[in-house]
Amino acid sequence: MKRIANRQYLWIGAIFVVLALVPLFIDNNYYITILNQMVINMIVVFGLNFITGLTGQMNLGTAGIYAIGAYTSALLSKNFGISPWLTMMAAICAGFLLGRGLGYPSLKMKGVYLSLTTLAFTEIVRIFATNLIDITGGTQGINDIPRFAVGPVMLDTNTKYFYFILVVAVLVCLLSIRIVYSKWGREFRAVRDNADAIESLGLDIKKIKIRAFTLAAMYGTLGGALYAHFNSYITSLSFTTDLSINYVIILMVGGIGSILGNMVGAVVVTLLPELLRFLGDYYQITYCILVLISALFLPNGLVSIYGKITGLLNKGSSAEGGE
Amino acid sequence: MEQTQVVLEVQNLVKRFDGLVAVDNLNFKVKKGRIHALIGPNGAGKTTTVNMITGDNPQTEGEVLFYGKSISKMPIYERASLGIGRTFQNIKLFSTMTVMENLLIGGQGKTTQNLLKYLANFKLAQREERQLREKAEEILNFIGMYKYKDEQVSNLAYGRQKMTELGRTLMGDPKLILLDEPAAGLNPSERKEFIDIIQKVFENNVDMFLIEHNMDVVMNLSHDITVLNFGCKIAEGDPKSILENEEVISAYLGEGYRKQMKKEAGQDA
Repeated sequence: MKRIANRQYLWIGAIFVVLALVPLFIDNNYYITILNQMVINMIVVFGLNFITGLTGQMNLGTAGIYAIGAYTSALLSKNFGISPWLTMMAAICAGFLLGRGLGYPSLKMKGVYLSLTTLAFTEIVRIFATNLIDITGGTQGINDIPRFAVGPVMLDTNTKYFYFILVVAVLVCLLSIRIVYSKWGREFRAVRDNADAIESLGLDIKKIKIRAFTLAAMYGTLGGALYAHFNSYITSLSFTTDLSINYVIILMVGGIGSILGNMVGAVVVTLLPELLRFLGDYYQITYCILVLISALFLPNGLVSIYGKITGLLNKGSSAEGGE
Repeated sequence: MEQTQVVLEVQNLVKRFDGLVAVDNLNFKVKKGRIHALIGPNGAGKTTTVNMITGDNPQTEGEVLFYGKSISKMPIYERASLGIGRTFQNIKLFSTMTVMENLLIGGQGKTTQNLLKYLANFKLAQREERQLREKAEEILNFIGMYKYKDEQVSNLAYGRQKMTELGRTLMGDPKLILLDEPAAGLNPSERKEFIDIIQKVFENNVDMFLIEHNMDVVMNLSHDITVLNFGCKIAEGDPKSILENEEVISAYLGEGYRKQMKKEAGQDA
């Protein structure tokens, strides 16, 4: 058990190192943009992992959460000239409150009903964002959202910004590891496994669920805020239900409940549209088929391939040893 | 004469499901240092009674007192942290986790519940985890499950799963354990092992309240027996008086059981 966990940390470290090296070899601004998006996705999915991955509550509210993070930070920094550092903090605080609020329906509802409620939340946020034109700019959106400086370094290029969010992602990942592989992670998984037994052990299931939702929302709003300052432009057209589902797909493709899986999922699913670009019009259908295949044959995500291969190898070598 | 302390008392307990009265005006006391059994035919309201005591399915009317204090309105987890542990009729384990992890969850209700404090204080986190693990290992040794500690529980045999569930309950330092059909589904050797463990736990000053269909288990283990039929108490007393109670025989044990008992008694003589 411990060895597997250690090896997983190695892989997580390796992915971060590789990501850090990529900009040294790529000069294309477009690809750097994709890298930024990839790492932002990673942060959001680390959060979603708490509620949907570990606790097993299907959350389709991610786009709404992400949007609220983006709008909070964008509006505060642009309209009031507050430092983005503070507005990103404000976004995280908004996430905290949001998580508490969104957590409540999860106490009363289960399964599909909860998914629909969170889906409705995303839609409500999107409709408000589209129609409160005076504040959010509606579908026209908000532009010129300021970038900011880390000490003396202005994050004016996408490459510099990429390194900034990569550091944020590493920190967020460490926090995730500390929570997931501790008693808190155990409680989350326990809710997924057998919600009826939790309370008889003296644990308040309401607190556990709300805690998972709050963490997910805080990660999500942080991701949204990072996105707003990265892109300098946000519009309500981006925060659709599709986006929520996309995050669930990342979670599923990578490996539900596993931090390494979240990272692999974010890398693969963010890159997939680029890799499949040569298919032109057939891209969408190919993408869907690939996701279906992954759900059918790799229900535990891409990270489970590694275990399967080493399992087969061990079996093979032990069989040889026996003969 | 000093009166024995009452651990658990139910007063005029009533449970109605819409029109159906599942438990009607039930009264009994579980005394300190006694193993108390609740028996009765299927549908008599035994599990309903346990669920009213634990709060899983609260009563319609009446009171539940734990060490003299009313717990009838408390949520489940508060009753559990007062020291009421339970096992389930159909095992409710965290099936994708290991035996060790199941036990750890059983004990962590008493650890710090403040995430920020936990994250800020590495030492506290480490110490808590180490203490939990040590306690879990001790309990695993006690119930003879140490060698299974890293097995995923869904891969274990039924008897082992039941034992894991008991171990998980013990992690919460219960004062009273409610056992819902502990012997059901176990083979004779597993059953004997389970009863021995229950006896050992009891000797460690944990009181027991059990529901059971297997009369051998009931007669061997319990000091007091309450008999339910159609939600009403029809008899109460020590095992011997219950065996001789006409009403219990006609409602639950059956004529055959008495004949068998007499035969066995005759053989012994």
